[in-house]
Amino acid sequence: MSPEDRRAEAPPAEPPAPPEGSVADLFKKALPGVEMQAIQGVNDVLLVIDRADARKVLEIAKNDETLAFDFLRNLTGVDFEADGMEVVYHLHSYTRRHDVTVRAKVSNDDAELASVSDLWKAADWHERECRDMFGINFTGHPNLVPLLLPEDMLDHFPLRKDVPLAPLEEWQGEQLGDNVAQAGYIPPGSGFNVQASAEGE
Amino acid sequence: MPHEDQLQVEHELETIDLNINIGPQHPATHGVFRMVIEVDGEVVTDVVPHIGYMHRGGEKLSENMDYRQAIGYQDRTEYLSQFNAELCYVLAVEKLAPALAPPERAQYIRIILAELNRISSHFMFLGAFGTDLGVFGTSFVYAFRERENLLDLFEEVTGDRLMYAYFRPGGVAWDVPANFKSRVEWVCEQALIGASDMDRLLTDNEIFIARTRGIGILSAEDAIDYGVTGPMLRASGVRQDLRKDEPYAIYDRFDFDIPIGTNGDCYDRYLVRLQEIRESVKIVRQALEQLPDGPILPERMPRLLRPSAGEVYMRCEDPRGEYGIYLISKGTTQPYRLRMRSPSFCNLSALRQMTIGHYVADAVTILGSTDIVLCSVDR
Repeated sequence: MSPEDRRAEAPPAEPPAPPEGSVADLFKKALPGVEMQAIQGVNDVLLVIDRADARKVLEIAKNDETLAFDFLRNLTGVDFEADGMEVVYHLHSYTRRHDVTVRAKVSNDDAELASVSDLWKAADWHERECRDMFGINFTGHPNLVPLLLPEDMLDHFPLRKDVPLAPLEEWQGEQLGDNVAQAGYIPPGSGFNVQASAEGE
Repeated sequence: MPHEDQLQVEHELETIDLNINIGPQHPATHGVFRMVIEVDGEVVTDVVPHIGYMHRGGEKLSENMDYRQAIGYQDRTEYLSQFNAELCYVLAVEKLAPALAPPERAQYIRIILAELNRISSHFMFLGAFGTDLGVFGTSFVYAFRERENLLDLFEEVTGDRLMYAYFRPGGVAWDVPANFKSRVEWVCEQALIGASDMDRLLTDNEIFIARTRGIGILSAEDAIDYGVTGPMLRASGVRQDLRKDEPYAIYDRFDFDIPIGTNGDCYDRYLVRLQEIRESVKIVRQALEQLPDGPILPERMPRLLRPSAGEVYMRCEDPRGEYGIYLISKGTTQPYRLRMRSPSFCNLSALRQMTIGHYVADAVTILGSTDIVLCSVDR
Protein backbone atom coordinates (compact mmCIF):
# COMPACT_ATOMS: atom_id res chain seq x y z
CA MET A 1 0.00 0.00 0.00
CA SER A 2 1.49 3.29 -1.00
CA PRO A 3 1.52 6.48 1.04
CA GLU A 4 -0.85 8.07 -1.46
CA ASP A 5 -3.55 5.64 -0.45
CA ARG A 6 -2.79 6.19 3.17
CA ARG A 7 -3.34 9.90 2.78
CA ALA A 8 -6.58 9.39 0.93
CA GLU A 9 -8.38 11.71 3.32
CA ALA A 10 -6.08 14.60 2.54
CA PRO A 11 -7.11 16.88 -0.35
CA PRO A 12 -3.76 16.87 -2.22
CA ALA A 13 -3.35 13.21 -3.11
CA GLU A 14 0.11 13.58 -4.65
CA PRO A 15 2.84 14.11 -2.03
CA PRO A 16 5.25 16.85 -3.09
CA ALA A 17 8.61 15.72 -4.42
CA PRO A 18 11.76 17.22 -2.91
CA PRO A 19 13.51 19.95 -4.89
CA GLU A 20 16.55 19.32 -7.07
CA GLY A 21 19.81 18.84 -5.22
CA SER A 22 18.20 17.71 -2.00
CA VAL A 23 19.50 14.87 0.10
CA ALA A 24 17.22 12.47 -1.79
CA ASP A 25 19.39 12.91 -4.88
CA LEU A 26 22.49 12.03 -2.89
CA PHE A 27 20.79 8.83 -1.78
CA LYS A 28 19.80 7.95 -5.33
CA LYS A 29 23.33 8.56 -6.51
CA ALA A 30 24.86 6.43 -3.76
CA LEU A 31 22.31 3.64 -4.17
CA PRO A 32 21.60 3.02 -7.83
CA GLY A 33 18.97 0.36 -8.35
CA VAL A 34 17.32 0.66 -4.95
CA GLU A 35 13.70 1.63 -5.20
CA MET A 36 12.81 4.54 -2.95
CA GLN A 37 10.10 7.11 -2.94
CA ALA A 38 11.19 10.61 -1.99
CA ILE A 39 8.73 13.05 -0.46
CA GLN A 40 9.32 16.59 0.72
CA GLY A 41 8.15 16.64 4.32
CA VAL A 42 7.49 19.64 6.54
CA ASN A 43 10.99 19.72 8.02
CA ASP A 44 12.93 16.97 6.30
CA VAL A 45 13.02 14.88 3.16
CA LEU A 46 11.25 11.56 3.57
CA LEU A 47 12.42 8.35 1.94
CA VAL A 48 10.03 5.42 1.85
CA ILE A 49 11.82 2.14 1.29
CA ASP A 50 11.14 -1.55 1.44
CA ARG A 51 12.37 -3.48 4.42
CA ALA A 52 14.63 -5.69 2.32
CA ASP A 53 16.62 -2.58 1.39
CA ALA A 54 16.51 -1.00 4.84
CA ARG A 55 19.80 -2.31 6.10
CA LYS A 56 21.60 -1.44 2.86
CA VAL A 57 20.21 2.09 2.74
CA LEU A 58 21.04 2.82 6.37
CA GLU A 59 24.55 1.42 6.07
CA ILE A 60 25.19 3.72 3.13
CA ALA A 61 23.61 6.60 5.03
CA LYS A 62 26.06 6.09 7.85
CA ASN A 63 29.20 5.28 5.90
CA ASP A 64 28.95 7.17 2.62
CA GLU A 65 31.04 10.33 2.67
CA THR A 66 28.51 12.55 0.94
CA LEU A 67 25.74 11.42 3.31
CA ALA A 68 27.62 10.84 6.61
CA PHE A 69 24.60 10.57 8.89
CA ASP A 70 26.39 10.13 12.19
CA PHE A 71 23.51 10.97 14.52
CA LEU A 72 20.38 8.86 14.87
CA ARG A 73 17.94 11.38 16.26
CA ASN A 74 15.06 9.06 16.75
CA LEU A 75 13.85 5.60 15.87
CA THR A 76 10.27 4.57 16.29
CA GLY A 77 7.49 2.48 14.87
CA VAL A 78 4.11 3.40 13.50
CA ASP A 79 1.18 1.06 13.10
CA PHE A 80 -0.87 1.84 9.99
CA GLU A 81 -3.31 -0.99 10.67
CA ALA A 82 -4.22 -2.61 7.34
CA ASP A 83 -1.26 -0.93 5.60
CA GLY A 84 1.25 -2.67 7.81
CA MET A 85 3.75 -1.11 10.13
CA GLU A 86 6.66 1.19 9.53
CA VAL A 87 9.91 1.77 11.32
CA VAL A 88 10.93 5.41 11.07
CA TYR A 89 14.54 6.58 11.36
CA HIS A 90 15.28 10.26 11.83
CA LEU A 91 18.87 10.92 10.88
CA HIS A 92 21.09 13.96 11.11
CA SER A 93 24.63 14.60 10.02
CA TYR A 94 26.82 16.82 12.16
CA THR A 95 29.48 17.03 9.46
CA ARG A 96 27.18 17.74 6.49
CA ARG A 97 24.42 19.45 8.46
CA HIS A 98 21.52 17.78 6.72
CA ASP A 99 18.60 15.63 7.80
CA VAL A 100 16.58 12.79 6.39
CA THR A 101 13.70 10.63 7.52
CA VAL A 102 13.82 7.01 6.37
CA ARG A 103 10.65 4.98 6.62
CA ALA A 104 10.97 1.22 6.22
CA LYS A 105 7.80 -0.74 5.66
CA VAL A 106 7.21 -3.86 7.71
CA SER A 107 4.31 -6.23 7.25
CA ASN A 108 1.99 -7.05 10.11
CA ASP A 109 2.33 -10.82 9.95
CA ASP A 110 6.03 -11.25 10.34
CA ALA A 111 7.30 -8.00 11.75
CA GLU A 112 11.00 -8.35 11.23
CA LEU A 113 13.71 -5.91 10.33
CA ALA A 114 17.49 -5.89 10.37
CA SER A 115 18.93 -4.16 13.40
CA VAL A 116 21.10 -1.08 13.05
CA SER A 117 22.42 -1.12 16.61
CA ASP A 118 25.91 -1.78 15.27
CA LEU A 119 25.76 1.35 13.11
CA TRP A 120 24.52 3.71 15.82
CA LYS A 121 24.77 2.75 19.47
CA ALA A 122 21.75 4.96 20.07
CA ALA A 123 19.65 2.43 18.17
CA ASP A 124 20.18 -0.18 20.89
CA TRP A 125 17.65 1.19 23.36
CA HIS A 126 15.39 2.62 20.67
CA GLU A 127 15.02 -0.79 19.04
CA ARG A 128 14.33 -2.45 22.34
CA GLU A 129 11.61 0.09 23.04
CA CYS A 130 10.21 -0.40 19.56
CA ARG A 131 10.03 -4.16 20.14
CA ASP A 132 8.23 -3.52 23.44
CA MET A 133 5.64 -1.28 21.88
CA PHE A 134 5.12 -2.80 18.41
CA GLY A 135 6.55 -6.30 18.56
CA ILE A 136 8.97 -5.68 15.73
CA ASN A 137 11.78 -8.21 15.85
CA PHE A 138 15.11 -6.58 15.05
CA THR A 139 17.30 -9.37 13.76
CA GLY A 140 20.92 -9.07 14.77
CA HIS A 141 20.24 -7.03 17.89
CA PRO A 142 22.51 -8.33 20.66
CA ASN A 143 20.08 -7.98 23.56
CA LEU A 144 16.47 -7.63 22.47
CA VAL A 145 14.80 -7.93 25.88
CA PRO A 146 12.01 -5.69 27.15
CA LEU A 147 13.23 -2.28 28.23
CA LEU A 148 10.24 -0.25 29.37
CA LEU A 149 7.72 -3.05 29.84
CA PRO A 150 7.95 -5.87 32.40
CA GLU A 151 10.43 -8.59 31.52
CA ASP A 152 7.74 -11.25 31.05
CA MET A 153 5.52 -9.09 28.86
CA LEU A 154 6.55 -10.58 25.54
CA ASP A 155 3.25 -10.97 23.71
CA HIS A 156 1.48 -7.69 24.34
CA PHE A 157 2.31 -4.66 22.22
CA PRO A 158 0.55 -1.63 23.64
CA LEU A 159 1.15 0.89 20.86
CA ARG A 160 -0.38 -1.28 18.14
CA LYS A 161 -3.70 0.08 17.07
CA ASP A 162 -5.59 -3.14 17.79
CA VAL A 163 -4.78 -2.80 21.48
CA PRO A 164 -7.48 -0.57 22.93
CA LEU A 165 -7.16 1.62 25.97
CA ALA A 166 -8.71 0.08 29.03
CA PRO A 167 -12.10 1.62 29.81
CA LEU A 168 -12.39 3.91 32.79
CA GLU A 169 -13.13 1.87 35.86
CA GLU A 170 -16.20 2.58 37.88
CA TRP A 171 -15.77 3.68 41.42
CA GLN A 172 -15.56 0.47 43.43
CA GLY A 173 -17.11 2.03 46.53
CA GLU A 174 -20.60 1.55 45.12
CA GLN A 175 -20.28 -2.17 45.64
CA LEU A 176 -19.79 -1.71 49.34
CA GLY A 177 -23.43 -0.87 50.02
CA ASP A 178 -24.02 -0.15 53.66
CA ASN A 179 -20.32 -0.52 54.45
CA VAL A 180 -19.55 2.57 52.40
CA ALA A 181 -18.14 4.33 55.43
CA GLN A 182 -15.20 1.93 55.20
CA ALA A 183 -14.43 3.08 51.68
CA GLY A 184 -12.50 6.04 52.98
CA TYR A 185 -12.43 9.08 50.76
CA ILE A 186 -15.47 9.46 48.56
CA PRO A 187 -14.81 11.69 45.56
CA PRO A 188 -17.21 14.61 45.33
CA GLY A 189 -19.39 14.40 42.29
CA SER A 190 -19.31 10.61 42.19
CA GLY A 191 -23.08 10.68 42.57
CA PHE A 192 -22.94 8.61 45.68
CA ASN A 193 -24.70 9.86 48.77
CA VAL A 194 -23.11 8.62 51.95
CA GLN A 195 -25.99 9.65 54.22
CA ALA A 196 -28.64 8.00 52.07
CA SER A 197 -26.73 4.75 51.92
CA ALA A 198 -26.15 4.66 55.65
CA GLU A 199 -29.91 4.94 56.20
CA GLY A 200 -30.45 1.92 54.02
CA GLU A 201 -32.20 3.62 51.08
CA MET B 1 37.95 1.19 29.22
CA PRO B 2 39.22 4.45 30.64
CA HIS B 3 41.02 3.11 33.70
CA GLU B 4 42.61 -0.12 32.60
CA ASP B 5 45.54 0.28 34.96
CA GLN B 6 43.26 0.63 37.97
CA LEU B 7 41.46 -2.56 37.07
CA GLN B 8 44.76 -4.35 36.84
CA VAL B 9 45.72 -3.40 40.38
CA GLU B 10 42.44 -4.66 41.73
CA HIS B 11 42.98 -8.01 40.08
CA GLU B 12 46.30 -8.45 41.85
CA LEU B 13 44.51 -8.11 45.17
CA GLU B 14 42.36 -11.13 44.30
CA THR B 15 38.98 -9.59 44.78
CA ILE B 16 35.76 -11.26 43.68
CA ASP B 17 33.10 -9.79 41.44
CA LEU B 18 30.12 -8.49 43.32
CA ASN B 19 26.76 -7.23 42.14
CA ILE B 20 25.35 -4.18 43.83
CA ASN B 21 21.78 -3.15 43.26
CA ILE B 22 21.03 0.58 43.43
CA GLY B 23 17.41 1.61 43.30
CA PRO B 24 14.56 1.65 42.32
CA GLN B 25 14.01 3.60 45.53
CA HIS B 26 17.27 5.34 46.18
CA PRO B 27 17.94 9.01 46.84
CA ALA B 28 20.78 9.13 44.32
CA THR B 29 18.79 7.89 41.34
CA HIS B 30 16.66 11.04 40.87
CA GLY B 31 13.47 9.05 40.56
CA VAL B 32 12.50 5.45 40.08
CA PHE B 33 15.58 4.10 38.39
CA ARG B 34 17.50 0.93 39.11
CA MET B 35 21.02 0.04 38.12
CA VAL B 36 22.85 -3.16 38.86
CA ILE B 37 26.53 -2.47 39.24
CA GLU B 38 29.13 -5.18 39.00
CA VAL B 39 32.19 -4.27 41.01
CA ASP B 40 35.64 -5.65 41.32
CA GLY B 41 36.96 -4.25 44.55
CA GLU B 42 35.75 -0.69 44.32
CA VAL B 43 35.93 -0.38 40.56
CA VAL B 44 32.83 -0.71 38.44
CA THR B 45 33.20 -3.36 35.75
CA ASP B 46 29.67 -3.41 34.40
CA VAL B 47 26.46 -1.42 34.71
CA VAL B 48 23.02 -2.65 33.73
CA PRO B 49 20.42 0.12 33.92
CA HIS B 50 16.81 -0.93 34.41
CA ILE B 51 14.20 1.61 33.41
CA GLY B 52 10.48 1.55 32.83
CA TYR B 53 9.19 1.91 36.37
CA MET B 54 7.50 5.18 35.43
CA HIS B 55 6.11 4.04 32.09
CA ARG B 56 2.55 5.34 31.86
CA GLY B 57 1.91 5.07 28.15
CA GLY B 58 1.77 8.79 27.50
CA GLU B 59 2.10 8.21 23.76
CA LYS B 60 -0.85 5.84 23.65
CA LEU B 61 -2.95 8.11 25.84
CA SER B 62 -2.21 11.10 23.62
CA GLU B 63 -3.37 9.15 20.58
CA ASN B 64 -6.77 8.85 22.19
CA MET B 65 -7.15 12.51 23.02
CA ASP B 66 -7.91 15.83 21.45
CA TYR B 67 -4.86 17.79 20.32
CA ARG B 68 -5.25 20.30 23.13
CA GLN B 69 -5.72 17.67 25.81
CA ALA B 70 -2.40 16.08 24.93
CA ILE B 71 -0.58 19.27 26.01
CA GLY B 72 -0.90 18.19 29.63
CA TYR B 73 1.03 15.01 28.97
CA GLN B 74 4.03 17.03 27.89
CA ASP B 75 4.17 18.59 31.36
CA ARG B 76 3.95 15.24 33.04
CA THR B 77 6.61 13.75 30.82
CA GLU B 78 9.25 16.43 31.08
CA TYR B 79 8.44 17.72 34.52
CA LEU B 80 11.49 19.93 34.96
CA SER B 81 11.28 21.72 31.63
CA GLN B 82 7.57 21.76 30.97
CA PHE B 83 7.49 24.90 28.85
CA ASN B 84 10.17 23.55 26.52
CA ALA B 85 8.28 20.31 26.03
CA GLU B 86 4.99 22.14 25.49
CA LEU B 87 6.69 24.47 23.04
CA CYS B 88 7.92 21.54 20.99
CA TYR B 89 4.49 19.97 20.94
CA VAL B 90 2.58 23.09 19.95
CA LEU B 91 5.16 23.90 17.27
CA ALA B 92 4.67 20.41 15.83
CA VAL B 93 0.90 20.94 15.71
CA GLU B 94 1.35 24.38 14.17
CA LYS B 95 3.56 22.91 11.44
CA LEU B 96 0.65 20.74 10.37
CA ALA B 97 -1.93 23.50 10.85
CA PRO B 98 -0.38 26.60 9.25
CA ALA B 99 -3.53 28.65 9.89
CA LEU B 100 -2.64 28.62 13.56
CA ALA B 101 0.38 30.90 13.22
CA PRO B 102 0.87 32.49 16.64
CA PRO B 103 0.87 36.29 16.99
CA GLU B 104 4.11 38.08 17.82
CA ARG B 105 3.30 38.69 21.47
CA ALA B 106 2.56 35.01 22.09
CA GLN B 107 5.84 34.04 20.40
CA TYR B 108 7.82 36.27 22.74
CA ILE B 109 5.95 35.13 25.86
CA ARG B 110 6.72 31.54 24.89
CA ILE B 111 10.42 32.19 24.47
CA ILE B 112 10.67 34.13 27.73
CA LEU B 113 8.97 31.36 29.67
CA ALA B 114 10.88 28.57 27.94
CA GLU B 115 14.21 30.22 28.72
CA LEU B 116 13.24 30.93 32.33
CA ASN B 117 12.26 27.29 32.52
CA ARG B 118 15.72 26.35 31.30
CA ILE B 119 17.18 28.42 34.14
CA SER B 120 14.99 26.73 36.74
CA SER B 121 15.86 23.31 35.34
CA HIS B 122 19.58 24.04 35.47
CA PHE B 123 19.27 25.30 39.04
CA MET B 124 17.62 22.04 39.90
CA PHE B 125 20.61 20.26 38.37
CA LEU B 126 23.14 22.39 40.24
CA GLY B 127 21.43 21.74 43.56
CA ALA B 128 20.92 18.04 43.04
CA PHE B 129 24.43 17.58 41.69
CA GLY B 130 25.89 19.06 44.87
CA THR B 131 24.02 16.58 47.01
CA ASP B 132 24.95 13.74 44.66
CA LEU B 133 28.55 14.39 45.57
CA GLY B 134 27.54 13.93 49.17
CA VAL B 135 29.10 17.05 50.60
CA PHE B 136 27.21 20.04 49.28
CA GLY B 137 23.86 20.34 51.01
CA THR B 138 24.33 24.08 50.83
CA SER B 139 24.18 24.14 47.06
CA PHE B 140 20.80 22.42 47.19
CA VAL B 141 19.36 25.12 49.42
CA TYR B 142 20.90 27.91 47.33
CA ALA B 143 19.59 26.41 44.10
CA PHE B 144 16.12 25.86 45.44
CA ARG B 145 15.95 29.43 46.68
CA GLU B 146 16.51 30.58 43.10
CA ARG B 147 14.19 27.99 41.63
CA GLU B 148 11.48 29.11 44.01
CA ASN B 149 11.57 32.65 42.52
CA LEU B 150 11.02 31.18 39.09
CA LEU B 151 8.26 28.81 40.15
CA ASP B 152 6.48 31.71 41.86
CA LEU B 153 6.59 33.63 38.60
CA PHE B 154 5.30 30.63 36.64
CA GLU B 155 2.50 30.25 39.14
CA GLU B 156 1.52 33.90 38.71
CA VAL B 157 1.43 33.48 34.95
CA THR B 158 -0.13 30.03 34.56
CA GLY B 159 -1.82 29.30 37.87
CA ASP B 160 0.22 26.22 38.61
CA ARG B 161 3.67 25.57 39.97
CA LEU B 162 4.54 22.52 37.91
CA MET B 163 1.87 21.34 35.47
CA TYR B 164 1.41 24.50 33.46
CA ALA B 165 -0.41 23.47 30.26
CA TYR B 166 -0.17 27.12 29.27
CA PHE B 167 0.91 27.02 25.63
CA ARG B 168 -1.69 26.37 22.97
CA PRO B 169 -1.39 25.63 19.28
CA GLY B 170 -1.68 29.20 18.02
CA GLY B 171 -0.37 31.04 21.04
CA VAL B 172 -0.78 30.90 24.79
CA ALA B 173 -3.83 30.27 26.94
CA TRP B 174 -4.21 33.79 28.34
CA ASP B 175 -2.20 36.96 28.58
CA VAL B 176 0.49 37.45 31.19
CA PRO B 177 -0.18 39.62 34.29
CA ALA B 178 0.30 43.38 34.03
CA ASN B 179 3.47 43.39 36.15
CA PHE B 180 5.06 40.64 34.06
CA LYS B 181 7.95 42.76 32.78
CA SER B 182 9.07 44.02 36.16
CA ARG B 183 8.70 40.55 37.68
CA VAL B 184 10.79 38.92 34.95
CA GLU B 185 13.46 41.57 35.30
CA TRP B 186 13.65 40.94 39.02
CA VAL B 187 13.77 37.18 38.53
CA CYS B 188 16.59 37.55 35.99
CA GLU B 189 18.62 39.64 38.43
CA GLN B 190 18.08 37.05 41.14
CA ALA B 191 19.03 34.23 38.79
CA LEU B 192 22.33 35.93 37.95
CA ILE B 193 23.05 36.45 41.64
CA GLY B 194 22.18 32.83 42.27
CA ALA B 195 24.42 31.68 39.45
CA SER B 196 27.36 33.61 40.81
CA ASP B 197 26.62 32.22 44.29
CA MET B 198 26.84 28.70 42.90
CA ASP B 199 29.93 29.71 41.00
CA ARG B 200 31.68 30.87 44.15
CA LEU B 201 30.48 27.88 46.13
CA LEU B 202 31.40 25.10 43.71
CA THR B 203 33.52 26.07 40.70
CA ASP B 204 36.84 26.52 42.48
CA ASN B 205 36.09 24.20 45.37
CA GLU B 206 38.88 21.67 45.75
CA ILE B 207 36.63 18.80 46.84
CA PHE B 208 34.18 19.51 44.04
CA ILE B 209 36.93 19.50 41.43
CA ALA B 210 38.46 16.32 42.86
CA ARG B 211 35.13 14.56 42.67
CA THR B 212 34.18 15.71 39.15
CA ARG B 213 37.23 16.47 37.00
CA GLY B 214 38.23 13.53 34.84
CA ILE B 215 35.20 11.54 35.96
CA GLY B 216 32.78 10.08 33.46
CA ILE B 217 34.57 11.23 30.34
CA LEU B 218 32.52 10.85 27.17
CA SER B 219 34.36 11.52 23.93
CA ALA B 220 32.67 13.52 21.20
CA GLU B 221 32.48 10.49 18.89
CA ASP B 222 30.89 8.31 21.54
CA ALA B 223 28.48 11.04 22.52
CA ILE B 224 27.26 11.43 18.93
CA ASP B 225 27.10 7.66 18.47
CA TYR B 226 24.92 7.24 21.55
CA GLY B 227 22.63 10.07 20.45
CA VAL B 228 23.63 12.22 23.41
CA THR B 229 22.52 15.82 22.99
CA GLY B 230 22.30 19.06 24.88
CA PRO B 231 24.73 20.18 27.57
CA MET B 232 26.29 16.72 27.73
CA LEU B 233 27.22 16.81 24.07
CA ARG B 234 28.43 20.39 24.33
CA ALA B 235 30.57 19.46 27.34
CA SER B 236 32.28 16.94 25.06
CA GLY B 237 33.28 19.79 22.77
CA VAL B 238 30.65 19.59 20.03
CA ARG B 239 29.13 22.94 19.19
CA GLN B 240 25.55 21.84 18.77
CA ASP B 241 22.48 23.77 19.79
CA LEU B 242 19.21 23.55 17.91
CA ARG B 243 18.45 27.15 18.85
CA LYS B 244 21.39 28.15 16.66
CA ASP B 245 21.64 25.27 14.18
CA GLU B 246 17.99 25.01 13.20
CA PRO B 247 16.39 28.07 14.76
CA TYR B 248 12.79 27.30 15.63
CA ALA B 249 10.16 29.76 16.82
CA ILE B 250 11.96 33.13 16.93
CA TYR B 251 15.35 32.11 18.28
CA ASP B 252 17.09 33.60 15.27
CA ARG B 253 16.29 37.09 16.59
CA PHE B 254 18.42 36.82 19.70
CA ASP B 255 22.09 37.13 20.31
CA PHE B 256 23.59 34.54 22.61
CA ASP B 257 26.56 32.22 22.89
CA ILE B 258 26.79 28.46 23.17
CA PRO B 259 29.12 27.42 25.98
CA ILE B 260 31.10 24.28 25.20
CA GLY B 261 33.45 22.15 27.25
CA THR B 262 36.72 20.50 26.32
CA ASN B 263 37.10 17.25 28.27
CA GLY B 264 33.55 15.91 28.39
CA ASP B 265 33.76 15.06 32.08
CA CYS B 266 31.35 15.79 34.92
CA TYR B 267 33.06 19.08 35.70
CA ASP B 268 32.59 20.35 32.14
CA ARG B 269 28.93 19.38 32.21
CA TYR B 270 28.53 21.43 35.36
CA LEU B 271 30.33 24.42 33.84
CA VAL B 272 28.30 24.29 30.63
CA ARG B 273 25.01 24.30 32.51
CA LEU B 274 26.11 27.08 34.82
CA GLN B 275 27.08 29.21 31.86
CA GLU B 276 23.82 28.41 30.08
CA ILE B 277 21.93 30.07 32.92
CA ARG B 278 23.67 33.33 32.06
CA GLU B 279 23.06 32.88 28.34
CA SER B 280 19.38 32.24 28.99
CA VAL B 281 19.17 35.43 31.01
CA LYS B 282 20.62 37.23 27.98
CA ILE B 283 17.89 35.83 25.75
CA VAL B 284 15.14 36.65 28.25
CA ARG B 285 16.31 40.24 28.57
CA GLN B 286 16.41 40.73 24.80
CA ALA B 287 12.98 39.17 24.42
CA LEU B 288 11.58 41.32 27.19
CA GLU B 289 12.89 44.43 25.48
CA GLN B 290 11.24 43.45 22.18
CA LEU B 291 8.01 42.14 23.74
CA PRO B 292 5.23 43.77 21.69
CA ASP B 293 1.62 44.43 22.64
CA GLY B 294 -1.18 42.72 20.83
CA PRO B 295 -3.29 39.60 20.78
CA ILE B 296 -2.05 36.29 22.13
CA LEU B 297 -4.09 33.99 19.92
CA PRO B 298 -5.08 34.15 16.25
CA GLU B 299 -8.38 35.90 15.63
CA ARG B 300 -10.15 32.84 14.31
CA MET B 301 -9.51 29.87 16.50
CA PRO B 302 -11.30 26.67 15.49
CA ARG B 303 -13.36 24.99 18.12
CA LEU B 304 -11.76 21.66 17.26
CA LEU B 305 -8.25 21.38 15.93
CA ARG B 306 -7.98 19.37 12.73
CA PRO B 307 -4.43 19.65 11.43
CA SER B 308 -4.07 18.53 7.84
CA ALA B 309 -2.91 15.00 7.19
CA GLY B 310 0.82 14.57 7.21
CA GLU B 311 3.73 14.01 9.48
CA VAL B 312 6.35 16.17 11.13
CA TYR B 313 9.34 15.59 13.34
CA MET B 314 9.74 18.76 15.39
CA ARG B 315 12.78 19.11 17.59
CA CYS B 316 13.57 21.68 20.22
CA GLU B 317 16.50 22.38 22.48
CA ASP B 318 15.35 21.22 25.86
CA PRO B 319 17.58 21.93 28.91
CA ARG B 320 18.61 18.27 28.66
CA GLY B 321 19.05 18.04 24.91
CA GLU B 322 16.99 17.45 21.83
CA TYR B 323 13.33 17.02 22.66
CA GLY B 324 11.51 15.69 19.64
CA ILE B 325 7.86 15.27 18.79
CA TYR B 326 7.06 12.98 15.89
CA LEU B 327 3.47 13.68 15.04
CA ILE B 328 1.38 11.94 12.40
CA SER B 329 -2.00 13.43 11.65
CA LYS B 330 -4.72 11.88 9.56
CA GLY B 331 -6.84 15.00 9.52
CA THR B 332 -8.91 14.00 12.52
CA THR B 333 -9.18 15.62 15.93
CA GLN B 334 -6.76 13.17 17.51
CA PRO B 335 -3.09 12.55 16.76
CA TYR B 336 -2.66 9.31 14.84
CA ARG B 337 0.79 8.77 16.29
CA LEU B 338 2.63 10.88 18.79
CA ARG B 339 6.17 9.94 19.60
CA MET B 340 8.16 11.80 22.22
CA ARG B 341 11.88 11.59 21.65
CA SER B 342 13.19 12.28 25.08
CA PRO B 343 16.74 13.57 25.59
CA SER B 344 16.98 11.88 28.99
CA PHE B 345 16.37 8.48 27.41
CA CYS B 346 19.24 8.81 24.95
CA ASN B 347 21.60 10.47 27.41
CA LEU B 348 21.00 7.70 29.91
CA SER B 349 21.85 5.03 27.37
CA ALA B 350 25.45 6.26 27.45
CA LEU B 351 25.65 5.64 31.21
CA ARG B 352 27.40 2.29 30.84
CA GLN B 353 30.04 3.75 28.57
CA MET B 354 30.79 6.53 31.06
CA THR B 355 30.73 4.54 34.28
CA ILE B 356 32.87 1.47 33.58
CA GLY B 357 36.30 1.82 35.10
CA HIS B 358 35.32 4.34 37.76
CA TYR B 359 34.73 3.87 41.46
CA VAL B 360 31.27 3.09 42.83
CA ALA B 361 31.02 6.50 44.48
CA ASP B 362 31.67 8.13 41.10
CA ALA B 363 28.85 6.17 39.50
CA VAL B 364 26.44 8.34 41.45
CA THR B 365 28.29 11.48 40.34
CA ILE B 366 28.10 10.39 36.71
CA LEU B 367 24.41 9.57 36.94
CA GLY B 368 23.84 12.97 38.51
CA SER B 369 25.78 14.71 35.76
CA THR B 370 23.48 13.27 33.08
CA ASP B 371 20.66 15.29 34.68
CA ILE B 372 17.92 12.83 33.74
CA VAL B 373 14.21 13.16 34.31
CA LEU B 374 12.92 9.66 34.90
CA CYS B 375 9.39 10.46 33.77
CA SER B 376 10.85 11.57 30.49
CA VAL B 377 12.99 8.45 30.20
CA ASP B 378 10.01 6.14 30.63
CA ARG B 379 7.19 8.32 29.27
